[in-house]
Amino acid sequence: MTPTVTVRGLRKRYGHTAVLDGLDIAFGAGVTGLLGPNGAGKTTLLRCLATTLAPDAGELRVLGLDPATASGRTGVRRRLGYLPQDPGFYPHFTVFETLDYVAILKEMTDRRERHREVTRVLAEVGLADRARTKVRKLSGGMRQRLALAQALLDEPDLLVLDEPTVGLDPEQRLRLRALVSRLGESRTVLLSTHQTEDVAALCERVVVMDGGRILFDGTPAGLAAVAAGRVSLGDHRPGPGALFWRTADGRYRTIGDTPADAVPAEPTVEDGYLLLVGRTQEAA
Amino acid sequence: MTTGDWHIPPGLLERYLDGSLDPVGVMSVEAHLVRCARCRTAVPADGGWLATSWERIAAEVAAPAPPLTERLLHGAGVPGHLARLLAATPALSRAWAAAVAVALGFAVAAAHLAGHGFLAFLTLAPVLPTAGIALAYGRRIDPAHETYAATPMAGAPLLLVRSTAVLLTALALTALAVPLLPAATMPSVAWAWLLPALTTTSGCLALATRVPLPLAAVALGGGWVAVVTGVGAVTGDRTLPFRPGAQVLYGCAVALLTLVLYVRRHRLDPAEPR
Ligand SMILES: Nc1ncnc2c1ncn2[C@@H]1O[C@H](COP(=O)(O)OP(=O)(O)OP(=O)(O)O)[C@@H](O)[C@H]1O
Ligand SMILES: [Mg+2]
Repeated sequence: MTPTVTVRGLRKRYGHTAVLDGLDIAFGAGVTGLLGPNGAGKTTLLRCLATTLAPDAGELRVLGLDPATASGRTGVRRRLGYLPQDPGFYPHFTVFETLDYVAILKEMTDRRERHREVTRVLAEVGLADRARTKVRKLSGGMRQRLALAQALLDEPDLLVLDEPTVGLDPEQRLRLRALVSRLGESRTVLLSTHQTEDVAALCERVVVMDGGRILFDGTPAGLAAVAAGRVSLGDHRPGPGALFWRTADGRYRTIGDTPADAVPAEPTVEDGYLLLVGRTQEAA
Repeated sequence: MTTGDWHIPPGLLERYLDGSLDPVGVMSVEAHLVRCARCRTAVPADGGWLATSWERIAAEVAAPAPPLTERLLHGAGVPGHLARLLAATPALSRAWAAAVAVALGFAVAAAHLAGHGFLAFLTLAPVLPTAGIALAYGRRIDPAHETYAATPMAGAPLLLVRSTAVLLTALALTALAVPLLPAATMPSVAWAWLLPALTTTSGCLALATRVPLPLAAVALGGGWVAVVTGVGAVTGDRTLPFRPGAQVLYGCAVALLTLVLYVRRHRLDPAEPR
């Protein structure tokens, strides 16, 4: 299967800091999650793929097109749904007007068809009863769902979602998971998140980034396995220097070397992630 | 009418089902359907059909009535989706339009008070659209810029739509102020701002293919004021920049700058490296 997105030697720097430092990666159909600490370069990578940021160097192929050319960019944008990390709105627009405006920018010129599509995506994100509400009167989570709705307009082949679960209540997060996994059956979905549970529940592939490089690329189970034999539960407080916390039942869960009296515990995606990222911070 | 001998012909039924039938036709068909079991069986009352019908109704109910400007544009032959984009340009907020109106008010007052006061009006009018364009588009100005930057209308198409909206508003407001000018300025110089305004606007957009838009707007707006006052000071004739000879120059400049803008329009893309 040919990948939807290919990245070769991607570089982007701001001032003297290299945010992306010769990145090589490819993405195909399905849901891929991007994990990484704040400032890792996730948003920078996603913006390059969503054609809103020009890289300094490197080759991109998105949906078989080259975003370095004007026609390539337009071609990509015709088949792209993009949720920015910090999506802004016009507060005086209603929910419906907001989506209608984006739908026009997505070249949906037929009014009826466009309005039907707006109604469809509103139902997808559970905002159908808010169509006539002004954006300034929405809660933060509703605004996030509105931002997601605009990305779904016109059934894009590639979805780039930068922290889609931020601010959602548990029920809405579940809804989002169901929606994204359904979309991932036939399309390419790239999402960045800080929620390791979302990755474990939703992504067939997970990529961990830090400092503009890739630290891990594999399955969520593979990421959890990074912590195999390095997670333990004990009754006594571990010594200084260990990464641990007290669980609800009063025991100590340690990531790293197993303290003397502790027993091995089942590692999670979060454990694997913390070990990976923690190691690079020690090295830095 | 009895229902026994007449039934809905297939062509009519088809138009009824795909929604292209006019309301009167729809009502007649439905009046007949209520009484005729045979025709009812021809109407697919499956869940999917009902769902799409409801969806369509819901979409129409939720869609807000278009504002007056949008309806006027649509009435003037502008396609609906473009009318929507034009009418919704953020810079066309009341604040910007109010600022333009106040500035024009001062210029009109100056024209009445001082002998050559109308020159202030002629100098000001071409600055207004460049300021409006800088306030209508860009990452720093538009909160939704990042979202729009990933749509096929990003860059030149959206910027040009918004610039058109700004230009039309500025021109309309200025034109409304013209009859308020002193009778002595009519009509030979009262419209002498029009071509300069088109020149600064096309110049601002053409320059924006090379430098950031706010900078281009300041350069053209400020440059225009500097040229007009400079020429007046050097030649001693402050009306010189508005004479017919100068107007020919502006006409040529508009044509040239529009060509430059057309050729370099791809450089207005947010993802174009500068
Ligand atoms: N416009 C900008 N100008 C200067 N520096 C920037 C800009 N955008 C991002 N950066 C820097 O680039 C680095 C990577 O930022 P990026 O937003 O890609 O990180 P991220 O992985 O998305 O982080 P987060 O999890 O906080 O969203 C950071 O150090 C940030 O300060
Ligand atoms: Mg980010």
